[in-house]
Amino acid sequence: MNSAVFEIGKFARLTLLWLCIIFGAVWGVSWSIGVLLPAVILSQSGESGRFWAQLLQALVPVVAVALFVPLNTCYMVLAERRLLALFTVRKGPNRVGPDGAFQTVADALKLLLKEEITPRGADLLMYTLAPVIFFAPSIIGVMPLLAAVSGNHPLFTPVNLPTGVFYILAVSSIPVVGVVMGGWASNNKYSLVGALRSAAQAISYEIPLLLSIITVCLLAGTLDFVQIADNQRGSLLNWNILGGGALTHLGIGSPWWSIAAALLLAACCILLFALYVICACAEVNRTPFDLPEAESELVSGFNTEYSGIKFAIFFLAEYTNLFIVSTFAAVMFLGGGHAPFPGLEDACISGLRGLLAAWFGACTPFQLGWLVNSLVNPATVSQVFWIIVKSYALVWFASLIRATLPRLRIDQLMDYSWKRLVPLALILLIAVTFLKELV
Amino acid sequence: MESLNLLTALAHVNVEQGFFYVLAAIAIPLAYGVVFDRNVIRSGFLLIGVFATIAGLFFLLQAQFLGLSQILIYGVGITLVIVIALMLTNARQETGMNPALPANVGLASFVSVLVFTTIYLSLRSAEDWPLKNESSLSLPPNIEMIGKHLMTYYALPFEFASILLLAALVGAVMLSKAEPASLANAGDEAEQAVDGTDRV
Amino acid sequence: MLGMVGRAAEGFYQVCRGLWTVFKHSGRPPTTKEFPDVMPELPGAFRGRLALAVNPETGEHLCISCRQCERVCPDKCIDITAHKSPQTGKLELIDFKIDHGLCMFCGLCTEVCPTSCIINTSDFEMSEYSRGALIYDLKRLTLSQEESAYYFAKKDLPPPKPKAKPAPKPEAAGDAGESLAQQPSDVSQQPGPKAEE
Repeated sequence: MNSAVFEIGKFARLTLLWLCIIFGAVWGVSWSIGVLLPAVILSQSGESGRFWAQLLQALVPVVAVALFVPLNTCYMVLAERRLLALFTVRKGPNRVGPDGAFQTVADALKLLLKEEITPRGADLLMYTLAPVIFFAPSIIGVMPLLAAVSGNHPLFTPVNLPTGVFYILAVSSIPVVGVVMGGWASNNKYSLVGALRSAAQAISYEIPLLLSIITVCLLAGTLDFVQIADNQRGSLLNWNILGGGALTHLGIGSPWWSIAAALLLAACCILLFALYVICACAEVNRTPFDLPEAESELVSGFNTEYSGIKFAIFFLAEYTNLFIVSTFAAVMFLGGGHAPFPGLEDACISGLRGLLAAWFGACTPFQLGWLVNSLVNPATVSQVFWIIVKSYALVWFASLIRATLPRLRIDQLMDYSWKRLVPLALILLIAVTFLKELV
Repeated sequence: MESLNLLTALAHVNVEQGFFYVLAAIAIPLAYGVVFDRNVIRSGFLLIGVFATIAGLFFLLQAQFLGLSQILIYGVGITLVIVIALMLTNARQETGMNPALPANVGLASFVSVLVFTTIYLSLRSAEDWPLKNESSLSLPPNIEMIGKHLMTYYALPFEFASILLLAALVGAVMLSKAEPASLANAGDEAEQAVDGTDRV
Repeated sequence: MLGMVGRAAEGFYQVCRGLWTVFKHSGRPPTTKEFPDVMPELPGAFRGRLALAVNPETGEHLCISCRQCERVCPDKCIDITAHKSPQTGKLELIDFKIDHGLCMFCGLCTEVCPTSCIINTSDFEMSEYSRGALIYDLKRLTLSQEESAYYFAKKDLPPPKPKAKPAPKPEAAGDAGESLAQQPSDVSQQPGPKAEE
């Protein structure tokens, strides 16, 4: 028993280390490009530097994402391997670095240095373009989430589109083009079959996914991530997974139909979340639905022929997509950056503020006070903390699913989407529309 | 909104027009590629590129909703279906055919001239394009506008469109259901066989 | 309709149960043996590298050059060189070669060996840089006295009888030598498996 706790402790330590690396790096770089450098430029060249300062600030989201994606993938692959090891009573990678913390870094280096092979008869242009098309949307797709993740921090406000949800949905439908392209261009039967399966699966599961998200947007009344997250402020009961505040509006004197409607709405929303998780697993080709790359049938599916850096790009995109889907769920269903219990969030913020004042109060004589204050904004820290917890919890849950469920057969897969999930999604859409008015 | 300054500064140097020409310069060769590429599947993928650049044009016009639906529905959904249809039909037979027969050329040029004239005339006849004189930054959020218009002013065409789609859906189901008797029997037997193996 | 809802609920419950079952396993100590650091404890019957044992007490080589192992080996990876000693008239082992690159570790040779000389050790780390290095000669195959004692105890083999010593009676010695000398030629005239039966 002790040794098991020991293993879980090792995993926790590893997670903490990596999260510090990832978010420390992203935080530091965003701050130095978005706050420090513009301040220096403005103080040096005055008004004429304003354009450059603003350009730098506009670049912050791009740089932050470009830094975040590879680091995050390194952590996610490692965490997945360690978690699978935990669930299957093994140890997992534990050789490179402390407890194997840098195993994936070594793997990535190895992958980058490997030879690139183009199979004979491959369509070279499309073969090269496919990983790019597969990967680009995951970089572009993270952008609107940044605003919601950082609690609408001024640096990330420009990427907060009023149509953020729709934007992500549109962008996240592009990778399947890359899959089909790569599968067809590599001139390999397994790749082609994997690609066709992937296309069929993506098109089928996109419909219930879209319907479930549309239903949540309908509940929230907006397509704006920041607003959706802010609507869920307060407590667990305000989260969209429990009906987006329907339960909190109930008082003792509420009429019975209102109570019934609120309870039904909460039930519908839980179902909606389950629907979303299922469809999201299918969209990012995770295990119960990983037919496009079924190892036991198709070698490795659409990326069979890829090696070296192109394969690395496919790999990177897959895990980034998983993370996007999880963060998306955290924002749409699990209250975004808000704490699950009332008062907890305020406690977080005030505690952090006190800590900062105690640590950096001494710095003010050196005129560093404002720099520190702009670096660590307690409200933002609290938001980012909660959303990280929720997103990674969902990522870990995906690992648990991968460790548990076997792969579906292709006809079961299509049946499940068209005969079960689509009708369920339509029923839920209508039910939520009416229940929302009744509450 | 500090970034607005940047946006207006960019607008002054006519970045928008520049982007338009860039997108057009990408879209037109891609469209030519769709027509002239002898490899049917590759021209299908080029079509995705064309739709994507057109979505970019929509973004330039501040029509985010249209641009995003263009990507979502045309760029990915429909083109992918086309590409898969091409993959599953025998594309090799068609590469052997010569599309440039004199009779085909005459018909094709007639159709293209007709389509071009129609579009050109309809574009010319609409004298006043509303976006021409307005600053695009001051428009209200257009998803709301589209939603309201669809539900009020354009409710009837909207409903007709949905009835059309429903009819198409039902038709597709009927087509796939109505198999010849022998084929249906064969299918049943195959299914039974599969069930049998499953039980084993 | 109701049946469908029931089945959906049942399926959902089963999936959750499965997830919980797997999740519970994260509270168990890992069964991983980290091999190069921790050597696995192998059972005595483990069929690893072949070796020739010596008498644990006296240190005599147990092989009597009967060539049973050579004959029974399906891969023909054993090569015995022996000659009849001019002094005693007994068979004398000159060289014993086993090509471990060909060996499939079936253990048939160890079963036919009348003196329990050839045995499977627990050693499995046999990496070499060339195929030639996998051909073990008599010197590399022969175990030390302590190793032989270890394997005899581990495999629970009957302790070997000491070889016929230079006997006080020269006749007896001669008899023993003859019988040993005749044995292989006798067996070689009959088909192998029948001889065993």
